[in-house]
Order: sequence, then structure tokens, then C-alpha cells
Amino acid sequence: MLQRPVRHRPVPRPLLAVALAALLPGAARATDPAAPSAPAVTEVKVERTRPPRERLATLRFLKENRAFFRARLDQLHQTPQRGRGEATAIDPRFLAYQRMLAEVGAARDSAAGIDQERQGRGLFASINDLGRLESQLDQVERMLADQRARLGVLQGDFNGLQRTALAIVLSGYPRAAVLSTVSITLEGGRTLAVPLSAGQVESLQRGAMLQVFHGLVEPRSQVVEVTLAGDRWPQGDSGFVALEPPRDRLTLLRLNLSALEPAAGAPSIVASTWLHDAELKTHDARPEP
Amino acid sequence: MSHVKAGIDRRGRAAAPIAGSALAAALWLAALPAGVAGARDHSPFPAGAGVDGSAAAARIWAPDAFLVYVENDEDVDDHGSASRWGYLYFSPSLQKSRVYSLRDGAIVVAEDLEMKFEAPPLAAEWVDSDAALAAADERAGRAFCREHHGRLSQMLLSRGMFESDDPDATTWTVIYTSPHAASLFVLVDAAHGAVRRTWRG
Repeated sequence: MLQRPVRHRPVPRPLLAVALAALLPGAARATDPAAPSAPAVTEVKVERTRPPRERLATLRFLKENRAFFRARLDQLHQTPQRGRGEATAIDPRFLAYQRMLAEVGAARDSAAGIDQERQGRGLFASINDLGRLESQLDQVERMLADQRARLGVLQGDFNGLQRTALAIVLSGYPRAAVLSTVSITLEGGRTLAVPLSAGQVESLQRGAMLQVFHGLVEPRSQVVEVTLAGDRWPQGDSGFVALEPPRDRLTLLRLNLSALEPAAGAPSIVASTWLHDAELKTHDARPEP
Repeated sequence: MSHVKAGIDRRGRAAAPIAGSALAAALWLAALPAGVAGARDHSPFPAGAGVDGSAAAARIWAPDAFLVYVENDEDVDDHGSASRWGYLYFSPSLQKSRVYSLRDGAIVVAEDLEMKFEAPPLAAEWVDSDAALAAADERAGRAFCREHHGRLSQMLLSRGMFESDDPDATTWTVIYTSPHAASLFVLVDAAHGAVRRTWRG
């Protein structure tokens, strides 16, 4: 059964997304030299007008014969019967996760006991104690191996469940104008108005990023309308960004406001997109013997 | 079944006699390049190849959405492939239907269906359009086209729409039209690919 997604789920309130640093291209490489290369960033143009869309007809036969189909559906319509519902079987994988976690927990308890025992003795009296210590270290190592195996199973089962999603973040702040609200209108007409508080403005000026939307979107051509409001745009000023979110990937759209020109308005926003690499990398940090 | 408008061709026009007026012929020729050339620029594919892509979008639209209907949106070729297919989903929770039209692996149309279409879900497994068309051609379609200068017009995948005796069956309905004769309907069992029945209308 699929997880229940939330369509166009906005963040409860605009959040200064410190965690977004991990999603930024190049962020991982800056902290970990062994991390994979940064995803490719594509600059996208913010247009003054909505990009035209090809108009194509679909299901013409169905629409032309709607009366026939409606009549057939009326004949097919069934009244739900009262009956006993039957519970479905629990996915055995979920039971296995619990069992594996319990096994690892038991090993951890043993390791904790070992540690206490070791501390109580204080000094190793003989070569036999060193032998015991080695076996205890082996036990701890086995426990770590069990945890790795469990995480591997979890990754194997759930990695790749990324649904098609879009995250929109703001960065920078214009120097020549006061920006009070940024509104995002998604494909389908839903509008998210994000008023910028003084704290958020200060954070943007200091280089922070503001996540204004993160939610599921259909994997198809999307046009995002960005509307600015502020002292230079009392009636609002709009620009349009065309996106193609690929299926089962997280697409990030960054709207850099720092180059915003009052005269040019929304089209002077520097926009860029990239795909978040959701793949979990396996790192075996154990040193060579 | 006679009240189904079988004479609708793939560009949404009522099929007209060949010996129409000069104006009608001119309009036909003027309209032809756009539709045909557009279809030729894209790779045809059997209907089944677009199910995953449309389902990925439908589940985001509504988690409980299920596929209820498939129809070719562009001409179907001799192998049962079309450059664009339409996939209709119904969501019980939303009580709405939404169609996705796919071309070259991408969704090029996504729109809610204005009419209420609370149709039952298609069977999970069904023979693809190539096998269904081969069965229909073999049984009656090829002979119909030869004798009446007919052509394949539509391929529809639905459940219970054209088979009163077995409303639970998912079936392909293959429709051939001719300017000189009543249209031919061939109903193909989508579970096994066998022709169930044919009729004219």
C-alpha cells in the first residue's frame, strides 16, 4: 500500500531551513571530501508572461459519447453491501524490522554489561583478561555489523520511494527595494503567500534560505508564478518559471532575490533548479586492519 | 450500441463521405497536416507503456485513484501503437475523474474530467493494444477495411461499458469506420486477448 501523500503540502509556516544546507548543491562536498559530486544546477529564466502550452484534445470519443457512457455507468452502479470486513495481513517486513531491532537491542544490553564489568575490574591482571577483552570487542563489532545489516535492509526496502516533489526556496534579498511578500502560485492555481518578517529579511540578507514550499507535484510540465509585493510593487509584480519535475525525484527551485531590480521586477530574479540525490551512500568508515 | 457515435475519427471530426463539398475537402486538407505531422514527430507506443507514467501522477493527485478507461488520443497504427494515449483515473474520495494524456513518455495533458465518471477499476492485468488489435483484425477488422474501404478509428479499454452480459470484464473495444458502411465494433477480452463478439452500428 502506498504511503498517503499530501498534495501541494506547504510547510506550516515559512521556515528558515537550516537543514536545507544539506540539499544544496555542493554542500555535502564541502564537509565531506568523499561525498559524491554535486548535482547539476540549471539556471531557468523567469519570464514576464506565462509560457504558452500546447493545447491537445484528449478522450474525444468518451466526451463525444458521454450520454452513452453515463447510461452504462448508471446500469453498472452498485450499492455497497453490508458485510464483515477482513483485516489484511501485516507486511512481514515490518515484523522483521521489529525483531531485528530487538536483537540489536539485546546485543547492546550485553555490550553495556560488558562495559560495566570492564570498568569494575580496573586493571587487566593477566593475559587471559586480554583475551576476554578481544572477544568482547568482537561482540561489539558483531553488534555494529547487525546494525549495518538492519539499516541495509531498511534502505533496500524504502530507498527509491521518493515521490515526485518540488521544493521552492528563497535566497538573497534585494538591495534597492523593500520586499514584503512573495507569493507562489502553483500549477492548478493554488497560491501560497509568504509575508517576510523582519527576522526572515535579516536572515536572507545574511545568506540564509527560506523554504516556501515543499510538496508533491505531478510529474509533468509545471509553471510556477512568482509574485512580489513591496514598496516598489504595491500592486504586485509577477514572473513565470517553467519546470519539468522528473518522476519520483525531488526537484528544488531556488529563487535568488539578491539581483532583483526594482524596474525589471520579477523577471530579474535569478532562478535555478537541481535534483536532489536521495540515494543513500554507504560509507564503511572502519580503518583497515 | 447503435447510439455510440462511431463515426468520430481521431481528430474529433465526424466522418464525412469522401465526395463532400469542395469547401469541406479544403478544410480537411488544411487541418490534416497539423494533426498527422504532429503525430509523426513522436514515437508510437502500445497503451500499456503509458500506464506507469500516468499512475505516478494520478497517485499524487489522489492516493486512492485507479485507472478506469484508456483511449487512443492519436491514430493507432497497424501494430496497435499510437503516439498519444489518454488514461482516465477516478478517485472515490474526491469523487472526481482526471485524465492524463501521454506522449513520448511525458504527460502533455492533465485535466479534470468535467463529467462525473464513476467507473469501476480496470483489471490489474490486461493484454496490450497490439495483441488486442491483432485479434480484432484477424477476426473481422481486416476484412471490413478491405470490403468497405474502412479504417481503424478507435481503441478503448474499459470495464463493463460494452458488455452487458459480463459487466465485470475488462475489454478492448476496437472500432473500425467506413464512409460507406456502418461501423464495425470488435470486443476483445482484455484478460485473454480473445474476441468476444462483433457488431455493426
